[in-house]
Amino acid sequence: MVALEDLKQEAKNVLEGGTVKYIIGYKKPAVGFMAVPAFFHKPEDLDALVWDPTCVHNLVLFLKDEKKKKLGQKEPDERPVGIVVKGCDSRAVNVLLQENYIDRENVYILGVSCGKTGMVDLKKVRKYFKGKIISQIDFNENESFTVTTTEGKVEVPAADIFAVRCTECITASPVIHDVLLGGDSVRTPENPFGSLEEMESKSQGQKWDFWQEQLTKCIRCYACRSICPMCYCDECVVDTINFAVYPDTPAEEKAQKIKWVEKSPTTSENFIYHMVRAIHLAGRCVDCAECERACPMDIPLRFLNKKLEKESKKLFDYDVGYDTEIPSLISSFRDEDPEDFIR
Amino acid sequence: MKKKRIGVFICHCGTNIAGTVDVKKVAEALSKHDGVVHSEDYVYMCSDPGQKRIVEAIKENDLDKVVVSCCSPNLHESTFRNAVKEADKNAFQCEIANIREQCSWVHPNMEEGTDKAIKITKTVVEKVKHNEELEPISVPVTRRALVIGGGISGIQAALDIANSGHEVILVEKSPSIGGHMIQLSETFPTLDCSQCILTPKMVEVSKHEKIKLLTYSEVQEVSGYVGNFKAKILKKPTYVDPDLCTLCDECTKVCPVVVESEFELGLTGRRAIYIPFPQAIPATYILDDTGCPGLLPIACGKCADVCDPGAIDFDQKPEIVEEEIGVIVVATGYDLYDKTNMGEYGYGKIPDVMDGLQFERLCSASGPTNGKIIRPSDLKEPKELVFIQCAGSRDPELHCAYCSKICCMYTSKHAMLYKHHVHDGQAYVFYIDIRSGGKGYEEFVQRTVENDGVLYLRGKVSKVFQDGDKVKVWGVDTLAGKDIEIDADLVVLAMAMRPSEGTEKLAKILKMSLDKDGFFSEAHPKLKPVESVSAGMFIAGAAQAPKDIPEAVAQASGAAAKAIGILSQERLYHSPMVAKVNKHLCTGCRMCVDVCAYDAISIKDGIAEVNEVLCEGCGTCSATCLRAAISVKNSTPYQVHEMINASLGG
Repeated sequence: MVALEDLKQEAKNVLEGGTVKYIIGYKKPAVGFMAVPAFFHKPEDLDALVWDPTCVHNLVLFLKDEKKKKLGQKEPDERPVGIVVKGCDSRAVNVLLQENYIDRENVYILGVSCGKTGMVDLKKVRKYFKGKIISQIDFNENESFTVTTTEGKVEVPAADIFAVRCTECITASPVIHDVLLGGDSVRTPENPFGSLEEMESKSQGQKWDFWQEQLTKCIRCYACRSICPMCYCDECVVDTINFAVYPDTPAEEKAQKIKWVEKSPTTSENFIYHMVRAIHLAGRCVDCAECERACPMDIPLRFLNKKLEKESKKLFDYDVGYDTEIPSLISSFRDEDPEDFIR
Repeated sequence: MKKKRIGVFICHCGTNIAGTVDVKKVAEALSKHDGVVHSEDYVYMCSDPGQKRIVEAIKENDLDKVVVSCCSPNLHESTFRNAVKEADKNAFQCEIANIREQCSWVHPNMEEGTDKAIKITKTVVEKVKHNEELEPISVPVTRRALVIGGGISGIQAALDIANSGHEVILVEKSPSIGGHMIQLSETFPTLDCSQCILTPKMVEVSKHEKIKLLTYSEVQEVSGYVGNFKAKILKKPTYVDPDLCTLCDECTKVCPVVVESEFELGLTGRRAIYIPFPQAIPATYILDDTGCPGLLPIACGKCADVCDPGAIDFDQKPEIVEEEIGVIVVATGYDLYDKTNMGEYGYGKIPDVMDGLQFERLCSASGPTNGKIIRPSDLKEPKELVFIQCAGSRDPELHCAYCSKICCMYTSKHAMLYKHHVHDGQAYVFYIDIRSGGKGYEEFVQRTVENDGVLYLRGKVSKVFQDGDKVKVWGVDTLAGKDIEIDADLVVLAMAMRPSEGTEKLAKILKMSLDKDGFFSEAHPKLKPVESVSAGMFIAGAAQAPKDIPEAVAQASGAAAKAIGILSQERLYHSPMVAKVNKHLCTGCRMCVDVCAYDAISIKDGIAEVNEVLCEGCGTCSATCLRAAISVKNSTPYQVHEMINASLGG
């Protein structure tokens, strides 16, 4: 288990010594109990740093902003950024490294292990406590959480309130880090793709009906894309609103921007948007499930990505975010790759 | 901006297209399409009058762009682009709509065929609207050739290229050039001595001022593109200075190590320091460091002690030679299929079962027996000799599916030579059928049968095994319908020809494709038999398929002619339809670099950069890029989008 004091001390060491520019971590929210992302520029700010089962956010997202900010600066501060990462988030760092989006020197990784449990699912917590006011949730040594409410402390079995993705996670400890807190913990879920089974057992017609219903809800707010650390393109191929146009973009190119998808959120257009996004995340998605958490319309977006993760594992034995030296799934080819889908 | 004026030309191709496509209707439909100001049909657009019509129409109607609806662009794209150029327009403003292979030939129905031809032509009209004006990319040519393999094909190709005045680097992996041909005794159908006809060519190679010979060397790395390749060649140490070696043979007398001789195919031994054969080129001894006791002068060093000129240098190290060349000829030849694969013929363990090449050495006047035919086990003269053809060939279930082509002829020759040596012996040949197509070949086989009394048995051999001091052969004569059992003294297997060892590795280095049997693939089985799919790389000899000597020599000369064709040009031209990077969208993720089959993309300052000369415009990068940051000129995503739109009727 990670001792918060240790994490604070490690953070303080690098921030005081000037090794890092600033640290991306979590802090208590102004209202409620779910931790929020926070940027710590001064060592004294670090008193507010927290680490508990409500630190759900994938902070790797903010490395995108950091990169874009640096690109706009004439003389950028070349020191690395400190970042607190969980097991899943660390794999996202690896994918960004693999895709040359960031350099290893750009980040100082404070790895924290989730231990035996994982992150809570806010919806499950709300349902479990039915309106009670919660002030704090903590990790325990065993597979449970301690939840502090106005009525005192209760021990809740992890299985009741933690996120589905955490039940299927095999990397509870960061796979890349400069400092590792909480030790190496290995998790061996019985069925790493168990959440897909119900859907996979449905008939084609039932699947179609299900997704028809789900994707009709999409309002194309692009929250899923905005929160995804992998969606770092300046111009999204399935977005006709945000064309990347620069001062030296020729008129011809501006005129030749393609509208693959209509702006209006109709069902068919939504299908294209979500399918293309899922395909573009195949072999890149680390299952942080932030898209699903951010979705205001409760669309089970994690399913699409998880399904592709399963396919890439099954067909190409590809694991996302463990090795930064191998080519990405989409750009790799082996003689023994299956080709029975070619008819 | 002035609206582009497009002309459309529909070809009948006799009835090839007009048979299932109403060409008049296509021309009429296209004349109404947006941007098209001229539309006509003609019986043979590729004919001279057809091309003239295009030139005239461009001038009369002030056309900017041209679409020709005809056969595959593979065939006549350059014809029509040249015609457009003749009318002072940019050649890349002409596009081909394929309404033959992809339409008329596959549709029996006139109505559907016509409808599809209209759609195909419309899509290409939409594409050509957005074509950029391009100029072919021009690159200088390094006027030197690399020939890989020093057998008869490699020697012939190297001599032909060198005689045209261009420099040649000839690389051979074994210590001497000569290949398998130098191992042969006599050659069919004239029975002239193989060494006698090959050694003059070998000497010519060694004396030719334009040929740089690198023996005991292997090509390790090849980069670059047609006209400008760079090769890294590993020169293995021979530990003997060829300039100092006087071929006195004192060293072999003291060398304590005996290993199997590669040249004699294991029929005899050689020392660790040796000369492969007396006429070896380069004429020098070499030291085989795998057999030599440790190269430590303390451990042995006897050869160096007796070497008067001091030619032996134990400190030689492997050397990497870098060469710049413009073309490559691959002549890596063949190896025999290994006897150990043939369980029915004793897995190569029976001493008196040998392969055809070993028998050649046995017949050869310079061979281990000085031309006396005796069998390995007890050195007695074999009186009953069985030849088994198609050993490993024409056996798709277990071995090689193809016919090795030369075995019928050399087996016939072997049987004849045997009879010339052993007059009272009997030779049997088991065959499936006799393939003797070639000048003088059939007559040769008939001579073997009629004059020399060789018994030809049509059938396969099911088993060969040791029985006392005899080799028992169980076979069948299908013409007589009888089982045959022969107590043979010696069995000779006409083993299948396989691509030589290391072919696969070399193919990877050169990025050349292999066929299903592992031989190098030619670009076209009929019209481009010496070209490979990669520009500037040619194939000669048995590296492409089993061949006899005259064929190998002919193909080598053909490959040389093609190579000279490139080497005699000042500059080469390359299609300008290459990939282009949108610098703003590229994030430098390297995916395009990983997928590029031509090593044409690199990352520079965090952004992909295309080497336009290497790029073949295949578009794999464009399909891989998640950000649509790389696209092929004149096949941009926007053009494809417009084509899809047009084909959907938009």
